Amino acid sequence: MKTSNVLMLLRKDLRLGPRSPLLLYALVLPVLLTLLVRGVFGSLFDPQPRLGIVDLGGSELTVQAEALDGFDVVVLTDADALRRQVEDNDLDGGLVIPPGFDDAVRAGERPGLEFVVGGESLASNRILIAVTTLDLIRRVAGEEPPAEVRIVTIGDEGLAIETRLVPALVMLAVAIAGVMVSAASLIQEKEKRTLDALLVTPVSIFDVLAAKGAMGALLAVLTGVATLLLNGALGPAPIALTFAVLIGAVMMAEIGLLLGIWSKDQNTMFTAWKSGGILILFPAIFYVWPGLPAWIAKLGPTYYFLQPMFALSIEGASLGDVAPQLAVGLLICAALVPAVIAAGRWLEGARGSGAAAAPAVEVEAEELAEV
Amino acid sequence: MNGRVVWAILKKDLWAFSRDRLWMTLTVIGIAFYVIVYWLLPDTVDESLKLGLHAPGLEDVLGTALAGAPEQGLAVTTFSTEEALASALEAGDGDLVAGLAIPEGFIADVRAGARPVVTLYVPGEAPAEVRDAIGGFASELAFAIAGTPPPADVPGLTEVVVGRDRAGDQVTLRESFRPIFVFFALMIEVFALAALVAGEISRRTVVALLVTPARLVDFLAAKTILGTLLAFAEAVLLMALLDVLGVGTGPLLVTLLLGSVLVTGIGLLAGSSGKDFLGIIFYAMAFVLPLAVPAFAVLFPGTAAAWVRMLPTYGLVNAIVGITTEGAGFGDIAGDLAALVVWCFVSLAIGLLVLRRKVATL
Repeated sequence: MKTSNVLMLLRKDLRLGPRSPLLLYALVLPVLLTLLVRGVFGSLFDPQPRLGIVDLGGSELTVQAEALDGFDVVVLTDADALRRQVEDNDLDGGLVIPPGFDDAVRAGERPGLEFVVGGESLASNRILIAVTTLDLIRRVAGEEPPAEVRIVTIGDEGLAIETRLVPALVMLAVAIAGVMVSAASLIQEKEKRTLDALLVTPVSIFDVLAAKGAMGALLAVLTGVATLLLNGALGPAPIALTFAVLIGAVMMAEIGLLLGIWSKDQNTMFTAWKSGGILILFPAIFYVWPGLPAWIAKLGPTYYFLQPMFALSIEGASLGDVAPQLAVGLLICAALVPAVIAAGRWLEGARGSGAAAAPAVEVEAEELAEV
Repeated sequence: MNGRVVWAILKKDLWAFSRDRLWMTLTVIGIAFYVIVYWLLPDTVDESLKLGLHAPGLEDVLGTALAGAPEQGLAVTTFSTEEALASALEAGDGDLVAGLAIPEGFIADVRAGARPVVTLYVPGEAPAEVRDAIGGFASELAFAIAGTPPPADVPGLTEVVVGRDRAGDQVTLRESFRPIFVFFALMIEVFALAALVAGEISRRTVVALLVTPARLVDFLAAKTILGTLLAFAEAVLLMALLDVLGVGTGPLLVTLLLGSVLVTGIGLLAGSSGKDFLGIIFYAMAFVLPLAVPAFAVLFPGTAAAWVRMLPTYGLVNAIVGITTEGAGFGDIAGDLAALVVWCFVSLAIGLLVLRRKVATL
């Protein structure tokens, strides 16, 4: 293998890469998924009670409600619009505070308060809104509870769903870029028979594989770190974290090369990915549902970069803490090298004999014109 | 249009589809995946707040105070000791969201103005609103015992429900995911049809076909029928496997048929680009992603935004939700079906027009 050849091929791939929709997909996917998870799915898994308030008299109750933690409070100006939104399940509950409410409450007049809950709202949300509203009114009235409430927290504070989804996002970003880009790039060379052309030059199959793998790994590191950055999960040790992502990127690129060598065309590659991709991706599921038995996750090779990545970025671990897992990850990467070399030799031999040559490909009009 | 020629092209395409390992695999895996996930999704909604309580000497008072609590979504489990309550919360037994330990002599202390201390145990992961509300619940209990009524006249929860009260009959996650699965089943066929059409264009087999007695209109008709047939068959099969075909069968089949026509137009449009496999995937994705928004919007409570309601798939999704969740009939979903018919015409017209022009340029 010659470094100059590898660099030359890598430069060519990087130059032509932006024309590939897959590359664009690999770059855009982390951004899209992060937006989806942070903007949409967070509220799906952990919905907060939604309370609408129409305040007709500038009540302290509104100020107190807006300061509530864990409630989604919306202030409206029209009582009819509030009722409509509650009925349409755009809000779980609504309050219409009459003018002079605070003074009446403080004077002990027990003023009326319009309070509505939506028929489609969860019973638990109705209770939360009702009890919290009463509590707020007591505060406005300045009543001190006849009992003191001492709060004892049991166990650690759980992680938000957005945080638990970070490993899955990084996993997808690294896998798409590492596996798919490496594999697709190699397959395209096979399909267009440019690989055959390359192999009659001083370039060896290992130069080609190294260049394809390097491009996939490079892109995987880039998208992996970008995903962590977008999710605010770079943690206190970003260099160690990048190293963990690098191990994952190399692992994925090696798997991508094996997939690219084995697949005769892009259809086969996608079929294999859709069918077998779960074997690579499954450890990420265990971070979303931490109650699942963790030993199963350890069976997946990707666990050995995901766990260090999670520990470094979310749990504030140091490089020393995650060194044993990273060592296993490195061992897996090393163990894949002979497999890639053997597969490369097979591919080189098969291209010569024509056994692994891609079937007659669909050559587009533009390519025909170029020919 | 020659029926025999259309049938011949259709037979050829069906044979080609059945021989396409990728799309056959994706179709089978897709359906199997949706069915498995569907049956794994919860078919109930747990609406109750589960509260642990240790309140020695307060059994009678609390028994009266909490008489209607289970119906209103508050499930109370009593514990004989404070330690048992704390242990249950630590072990996560019974999905308790919090635990209240009320000391002995609570009533006497409250009435004497001694401000007894109530201990509120909350798991670390308890949401802030639950923590605050259960704390408020303890205070309110003390106020009630002290004989201090609320400072405002707030009606009870059962008196203030607006709209159809779905307490105890909420739409489950399983029901919410049905339109998403149908949408994705239909979308697989968009990709399959697009790949098939793109193959005909890039291999120029359509040019060869047109020097036979087959005319362009036969080719276009065959592709339209093929796309509709594949998408409809897959959607119906999926609905049967999800065990919802028995609910509103007529309206559901009509909705699925219109949905199939809609996606066929998109498949023809994507396929007419004549791109390679990867190109087709990403070209079709440009149409599929915005069309997926209404399917996902169903997962969230409330009315969809106006721009979501304008999307072609909104009628499809809304009709499926109406039929399978609310038991809606033709009359209830007439508006959605009408919008869907219009979008079918638009989608098919654009798809056929673009494909026709593309073939003419070959």
